[in-house]
Amino acid sequence: MPEYTLATLVAVAVVVAVELLWARTGIFRTAQYWVTMAIVFFFQVLVDGWLTKLSEPIVRYAPAQFAGIRFPFDIPIEDFGFGFALVTGTIITWQLAGRKEAA
Amino acid sequence: MPTEYLLLMGACVVITLPLEFLLGARVYRRPRRLLLAVLPLLVIFYVWDAVAIARGHWDYSPAHTTGWVLPASVPVEEVVFFVVIPLCGLLTFEAVGRTRARIARGSNPPSLPSPSVPAPETESRPRNSGGNLPFRGRERPGSVTDARNRDVDA
Repeated sequence: MPEYTLATLVAVAVVVAVELLWARTGIFRTAQYWVTMAIVFFFQVLVDGWLTKLSEPIVRYAPAQFAGIRFPFDIPIEDFGFGFALVTGTIITWQLAGRKEAA
Repeated sequence: MPTEYLLLMGACVVITLPLEFLLGARVYRRPRRLLLAVLPLLVIFYVWDAVAIARGHWDYSPAHTTGWVLPASVPVEEVVFFVVIPLCGLLTFEAVGRTRARIARGSNPPSLPSPSVPAPETESRPRNSGGNLPFRGRERPGSVTDARNRDVDA
């Protein structure tokens, strides 16, 4: 499996495991979280599409290191796992930090 | 344009400002909590980026980046990315939360005047907006709503 593909799958699994087994903020059971992710996904397509567009890329991916599927636009699909892990991870730490401040 | 990547990040900051100042996200206004939320992910993704660059997963167009590079060959733009994107995510998350709470109460965003109804709802916007509502739907105590209720602004 290409390394970026593998890294992305691991990152998504780790974030989900951290939430379910340790942080337990409950975000996966809220509409607030899923609506947020839908909005984030929409804007990721625009921003990431700009970063990765093959006509004039800002970030250039080695073809051998990802699965080779670019969708939508020219976005390597792995980027969506990367974005999920980054944003979900941040929402989890935000919730944890809120809990800590209240304590 | 060597500043293109940075400008794209700047656009993300600008376009999400209304979430803070019109929809009452209160993310910038809780800087300590924001720092605690962003820093761990910044460290982890910095390392991921450094490894990916070292192993040749991706690189950056010299024509669209400043060329300012941090340790382990990570462009400064990437650090900006790892701050700005989580920030946008949190602003969205909080704005969605506030908006849902507001809809549940049938009131207006803090920045907009209540239309015809004059007085009662004009008390300065409560910090814990979802505050005294009973938990809704599938959101149970111990969940996000509950955490927000107990939230203390930094």
